[in-house]
Amino acid sequence: MPSERALRLTAAVLAVCGIGVAAYIAIADASGSAPACLAGGHGCETVANSRYSHLAGVNVAVIGVGGYIALLLAAGAPGDLGRFAGLLVALVGFGFSVYLTYLELFVIDAICQWCVASACVMTLLLVVNAWRMFGYAGRDRLPAIGEPG
Amino acid sequence: MASRKAQKERLRAERLRREAEEQAATRRRRLVQYGSGLGLLAVIVVVVAIVVSQSGSSASGAGAGGNVVDASLVSKQLQGIPQDRTVLGNPGAKVTVIEYGDLQCPVCKAFSFDVAPNLISQVVGKGTADYEFRQFPILGPDSIPAAKAALAAGAQGRYWNFVELFYRNQGEENSGYVTDSFLTSIAQAAGVRDISKWNSDRQSSKWDAELSKTRSDAQALGFNSTPSFVVEGPGGKKVLGSGVIPLSQIESAIESVQ
Repeated sequence: MPSERALRLTAAVLAVCGIGVAAYIAIADASGSAPACLAGGHGCETVANSRYSHLAGVNVAVIGVGGYIALLLAAGAPGDLGRFAGLLVALVGFGFSVYLTYLELFVIDAICQWCVASACVMTLLLVVNAWRMFGYAGRDRLPAIGEPG
Repeated sequence: MASRKAQKERLRAERLRREAEEQAATRRRRLVQYGSGLGLLAVIVVVVAIVVSQSGSSASGAGAGGNVVDASLVSKQLQGIPQDRTVLGNPGAKVTVIEYGDLQCPVCKAFSFDVAPNLISQVVGKGTADYEFRQFPILGPDSIPAAKAALAAGAQGRYWNFVELFYRNQGEENSGYVTDSFLTSIAQAAGVRDISKWNSDRQSSKWDAELSKTRSDAQALGFNSTPSFVVEGPGGKKVLGSGVIPLSQIESAIESVQ
């Protein structure tokens, strides 16, 4: 099993990648345009123009930036607080990414590569944070084997 | 003596092993409890987000007396595109996509949500064709004041903002939500500057002839439901029919009449 330090470092790197992707979408929206699809096509524009691109008036990419920042802070936080916060935010982010991907595939009928990239990053963050939580939660309090209980 | 010491060591080791096993079992139980709690919390947060996302543009907004939603989204969608009364887009475009729609119609709303944003950004915004929305109020008595209110907004250059915002705040068909207060909220959010002029305009009979002509034009094309579409250009006229027509079909029709 990888060390908790390695898991926290991986989570931090993934969170920074997520911030980059979500910030690009948010900046493109704020400047009045849409994120550019790398292979051409109108998927990103279609998704950005859909009504689902905003949640209660806030662009979902802005909410995404907030979520990734929270994941970065959780990766930096030691102990159970960091483990729990990381898993909770990753679970919410993953659940919402699944919903957004469903909307892209079956409602909006268009795929935005940047949204897919963000969903992949969030999925990896869920794996890493679940690993950290279930591999290390509660270990700080346990006495080492051989020590009196 | 030595065997007694060895036995004590063995018993101690066994006790430590048991304690370690108990601690591991307690830790597993606690992790399962915490994991379940986190999972439940995450599910609740995601469900709330989905409910907000789904209801954000429904009738719960201005239709229920609340605030008009998506005003900035509509404003952004139409930003920089010229409007000439009921026509959106480049006045020099040779092709016109004409929609016969009713503001109370849920299928028109679906078109407005699912196809119109791309039609506007990818076709109208690029000058390939312009887009006319003709008021064809057939669903009930409330459709007529809604249509006149939109046309009155058009007299101040805000027709398309009004139409798109109406769809984003649409209520249940013929449920009585199309009140003066609702229409005024939409007009204000659409950016109609002179509300008192808009009020007198929308109540005047000057739109009756236009509505009547639209109705006879639609009937001549064989339309009896909304939204219905026809594309006109130098190469002729292409009747697309009714429903949520896909953008690809509209683009093909534009090519065929260019």
